Order: sequence, then C-alpha cells, then structure tokens
Amino acid sequence: MFGGIIETGRCFLAIAWRRLIRRAATSPGRLTTLTAVVVVLGLAFGLAGVLAMRASVGLVSDVTDRSGPLSLQAQDIYRSLSDADATAATAFLGNGVEPAELRKRYLDDIARASSALTVALHSAEGRSATALGVLVRQIPVYTGLVESARTYNRQGIPLGGAYLREASALMRQTILPAAQELFRAEATRLSDAQRAVARWPWTVTLLGLALLGVLVLTQRYLIRLTNRRLNRGMVLATVAALVAFGWLAIAASGAAGHISDGRDGGSEQVGLLAEARITALQARADEGLTLIARGDGKAFEDDFKVMMEQLAGKDGKGGLLQRAHQEAPDDAARAAVQQAQQHAAEWLTVHQKVRELDDGSQHAEAVKLATDGDASAASAAGRLDAALAEGIAGGGRRFDRAAAGAGDALGGADIAVALLALAVAAAAAFGLNQRIAEYR
Amino acid sequence: MRKIVATLAVVFVLAGCGQDPATPAVDSTAAAAVPRPLNVQDPAQSPAPPSTSPPACDVRASLRPPATLPAPGKMPAGSTMAKIVERGRLIVGIDQNAYLTSYRDPRTGEVVGFEIDLAKEIARALLGNPDAIQWRAITTADRIPVLQRGEVDMVIRTMTSTCERRQQVAFSTEYLTSAQRLLVNKGSGIDDFDDLAGRKVCATRGSTSIVTIMKQPSKPIPVATDSTLDCLVLLQQGQVDAVSTVDVLLIGLAAQDPSTEVVGKPVSDEPSAVAMRLDATDLVRFVNGVLDKVRASGRWTAIYSQWLGTAPPPPPAKYLD
Repeated sequence: MFGGIIETGRCFLAIAWRRLIRRAATSPGRLTTLTAVVVVLGLAFGLAGVLAMRASVGLVSDVTDRSGPLSLQAQDIYRSLSDADATAATAFLGNGVEPAELRKRYLDDIARASSALTVALHSAEGRSATALGVLVRQIPVYTGLVESARTYNRQGIPLGGAYLREASALMRQTILPAAQELFRAEATRLSDAQRAVARWPWTVTLLGLALLGVLVLTQRYLIRLTNRRLNRGMVLATVAALVAFGWLAIAASGAAGHISDGRDGGSEQVGLLAEARITALQARADEGLTLIARGDGKAFEDDFKVMMEQLAGKDGKGGLLQRAHQEAPDDAARAAVQQAQQHAAEWLTVHQKVRELDDGSQHAEAVKLATDGDASAASAAGRLDAALAEGIAGGGRRFDRAAAGAGDALGGADIAVALLALAVAAAAAFGLNQRIAEYR
Repeated sequence: MRKIVATLAVVFVLAGCGQDPATPAVDSTAAAAVPRPLNVQDPAQSPAPPSTSPPACDVRASLRPPATLPAPGKMPAGSTMAKIVERGRLIVGIDQNAYLTSYRDPRTGEVVGFEIDLAKEIARALLGNPDAIQWRAITTADRIPVLQRGEVDMVIRTMTSTCERRQQVAFSTEYLTSAQRLLVNKGSGIDDFDDLAGRKVCATRGSTSIVTIMKQPSKPIPVATDSTLDCLVLLQQGQVDAVSTVDVLLIGLAAQDPSTEVVGKPVSDEPSAVAMRLDATDLVRFVNGVLDKVRASGRWTAIYSQWLGTAPPPPPAKYLD
C-alpha cells in the first residue's frame, strides 16, 4: 500500500525533474536560470560587501572607541598606582607625621586609578577582564594596609613600617603586574584589530569578480541569441556592479591605509613610550625603596639598574628610548623622545649621587637629594615622566587622526553597496524578464 | 522574482542590526586573596644541616680582654680597631624593626633601643664618639654573610651564640639572656606549644627560633619571614596562630599590640652576643673589655631599664681561659 504511494511520488518527481531539464534546455529556460544566477550572485555579493564593510567599521570603532582609549586608561591606572605606592613610601620616609601634600597626592592617585578602572570595566573582555578583576579585588586590600600602616606609624611604633612593606609587596607583586597585563592585553588587541582592518576582503572580491563575469557572459549570450543591441537592464546592472565593486575597493584600501599609518605613526610609538614609562616608574619605586630599606636595599638598587638599562641602555643611548627615537614618525615625536632621554640621563646622575650619600652613611642628605627640590631625583624622574606622557599624547593624536580617516573612508560604504547590489539584482531581473516575455 | 528581491532586502536590513550586550554575571565565588609580607615561607624549609656536627663548646665563653683598654682613637697600630679608627666610623649590622630592642623610631627616623645604646658604648670607647656609627639594617638570615663579606665590623642583632655559628663567626661575651617563648592573641586559648599541634607558628628565616619550632614534639607548622615584625602582621591578620622567638623580641611585639600576650614555658636558652669576623680576635677582646666596663659601671642596668623594664643583674662574663 505504502509502496504504491512512494512509487507514485517518485514518478511525479521524476516527471517534474525531466520537465525542468527540458525547459532549461530551451532558450527561455536558460534565460530563467541565468536570471536566478545573476540575482543570487548579486545579492550574495551585496550581502558579503555589507558584512565586510560593517565588520571593518566595527573594528575601526573598536580601535578608536575601545582598545585605543582602554590602553591609555591601562597606562593611567599603572601610573597612578605606581605613583601612589611611591608616594606612600616617601611619606613614611620623612620623619614623624606625613606631609599633607603627600597624603593628598596618594589619595588623588588612588581616586584616579579607581575612576579609570570604572571606565575600563565597561569595555574589557578576556585577558583584560581577568587583569581588571585582580585590580578591582586587590586595590581595596592595598589601601586598607596603607591605612593600617599610617595608624601605627602615628603611634610611633615600627609595626607601621611592616604594614607598609606588606602593602608595597602586594602592589609590586600582584597589582602592578595586573595593570601591566591589562595594558599589554589591550595593546595586543589593538594591533590585532588594526591587522584585521588592513586585511583585504577576499570573499567579497571573488564574489564581485564572479558577478561581473556572469553579467558579461550573459550579455554575450543574449546578443548571440537575439541578435540585438545591448539589453538596457543588463547594462544598468553591470554599471551598478562596477560602481559597487569600485566603491568597496576604495573604501577598504582607504581604511587599511589609514589604519596602518595610525599603527606606524601612532600606536607603535605609543606602545614603546608606554613601556618606557612603566619601566621608569618601576625604577622610581626602586629608588625610594632602596632608601627606605636603609642599608638593606641592595635588591631594589639592583632592580633599579636593570630597569634603567631597559629604559636607556647601558650608556644612555640604547634601550626602549633609543628604539622610540629610531622609530619616531616625525620631528615632533623625535624631539619628545630626545627630551625624555636627556631627563633620564639627568636622573641617573642625581641617582648616583644619592647612592653615594646613602652608602656613605649620610642617609638624611640622601633622602633630601632624592625627594626634595628641583635638583632632586624625584624631580628629574617627574620630568622624564612628563616628557614620556607628552610623547604618548602626541602619538595618540596621530593615531586618532588616522583612525578618524579610516572611519571616514568606510563611511556610507555599506549602505551604498547594499543599494547598488539590490539595483544589480533588480535591473538584471527586469532586463532578462523582458527577453523571457518575448517567448511567451 | 520581485518578491524574492524584497524578502532579501529585508534580510539585509536585519543583518545590520546590532546585538544587545549581555549583562555580565556576578562572580559569586570571588574570595579575598590575603596579602602577605615580602618573602614569607609557609611552611618554612628546614635549614641545611651542617655537614659535620660542630664540636661541643661553651656558647657563653669568649676571649679575655686586655688588662687595660687602649684610649679612644688610639688603637694599636695594625689592629682591626686601628682600621676602624682610620675610617672614622664603626659599621654595625642591626635590626631596625625590633621594638624596644633595636628599631627605627617613626617619629624621628633615628634608630634607638637597648642594642643601639650598647653599640654606641662600643663606638664611644673605640672612636671617642657614640654617634660615629654607620647603621646597616640586615635581615636575620644575612647576619653571618655580611660579616663574612666584610661589609660590617660587627653584628648586634639578638644573635644567639651557638656552637654551629661559632664555626663561622666569633662571639663576644653574653650581653642579654633570653629564652624562646610564644606570642598569641589574648583569649586564643593557646598556653603552650602543646596547643599548637598542626597550627602555624612564625619566626624569622635563618634564626635559631625557627629550628626550635621545628623540633617541638607537638609538630607545629613553622612559617618563616624576614623580620619578627612581619610575624606580628601575620598574627594580626589571622595567617598564623602564634609567633615564637626570644622573649625580649616578643615583649617588643606585645608592646605594639595590647591584644596579644606572651605565654608558654621557655623552650630554649639563648645567650645574645656581639658577632664579629672569626679572624678579628683583637676586636673581640676589645669589645669584651667594653662590655665588662658597661656591666661594672651600671650603664648596662641603666639602658636595660630604659628600654626593657626592670633590669635583672647583667649576664656575667665568661672567658675561654
């Protein structure tokens, strides 16, 4: 019983298929098939084009609105926290009650780090989110330890110093590495996004070429078949396809060009300078901790030397700063780096004098030279930090300009491609339908 | 045909719609990570046992001083003391965190305490100036290495004279007698080592105290730090159950936190002495002479009672010959 039904169904299908083949073999059949192919290809090209453009726009806005700012925020978080740690330590280095301005500076640093954190939390994912989690959980613990240290210190008992050392260990071993990880994760994300924007949209290109090919072949077939001039619909479709293809190519290559300009001139320079800044901040903390340890700070002084060598090389003419100098995109950037190199050299000179004083049992004088006045090591380190910050800001501006250019290049491309692709499909369908109608 | 085009156009528009960002879930398993002072060892590793056990010795006996001490600044030519006079200052390895014994006063930034005053007496006799001293803050574990490297002239840092250490450095006569006990939170119910089976007890790395903790039959878990003060931080934060070291240091800790108390039977006998290089026998004799004078003149009693409370009689000097 069932067998009969299946047999009948199969029969029907076979007949329908044969009819289709037969019909496709006729001229109107072929034309209908071609219409379907052109419409489907046109729409596929349009869809792929729109998706590619939207993906590029998304990446560019990711770069401008998210990764770019987030990597700057990560630097700000690092700088604020490192400064908070150094400031808290300096406040304890003085005798008796901590100076009010140092207390304020410490609190400002924590406030700045916290507000940068709040903003960063909105947009972080993956590695960055993990690093941010560490920061969010540990910063309150850190500030709690510092307050304990402060309370005991005011009572005149050494327990305060022990709490400060514990706080500092937490900062240096857990919090600052997380801030650095956040910065590096965002920098990686940024360059990944930049590379992705710069990648050529091959799927769209191939679909576009296939579409143009089919359009041209169809028209040749039509001319042969009907022995007539060009079909208006098909010509319109071809023109629309060409315009869409050109638009896509110009937008994609424009955006890629701007983004790679932004990388070479902006974000790479910013990355180098930011690494330099973090290294300098570590060295500054080492300098303070060496003094606080009073004779027991060899490990910190050794770390200072390592950091300074990474920053400026053995002779002051190498390291991260020299690389930033070599890769500087223009004179302004080069000048900012040169300033930084000069301040680093000044700092190193003062630092050596500080060490001579401290090693020669003149601790109070060493502390004064390290922290007090324009000729102090802290002042030189501050100038270095300012020069690096300026270099970073300059790189950031170049980068923003380039990213804005990329955004402009892509602007409207998705809508244009969508409309043009619909026009291709509609015009081709209209043109071919006219010919099919002639057979009815 | 037109219908297909229209449908696809709708699809195009829909494809452009953004997704709603998902609201992140709250991590309900988030737990506080308890911070720690730098260089904490938990559990502490036992120090490498000496390759050969040291010969038996009298840990309190030292070299006899000369009948009369040379006048300050006028040391015998070629002696260890003459080199110090030539340099103009004595370099002393100290603790800067042992409240009352040897610590930096946060209010003045100066190091003060019982051992500091003792060192000043030595500088006074050697250089004629009690302040001609370069203080070098060192950790417990660094006491012998800094002496061996010649970075300090002497170490005055509640250093217990032991036969094993006497193989590496020379000790003066005893300047402070103490014994290892326990510091616990008040109301903790811990009265002695017997109550600490399987619980954490803190002392400094490289100290005799950490070895004594490891030897207790109740098998507490030793935790080592760089400084006894870090042990108090750990006790306050609930990361250890007790601190165990010589009682003078425990009194200094208890004085900083009224919620703690010193308990337990003494589990060791710890004569503190000034440590010097093994070959600086002339300096050892000189320091012993100074200590004799400090004991006899009542200066010892004065500085002890200034810092540590009612003074017992000073520990008597004992000599090898």
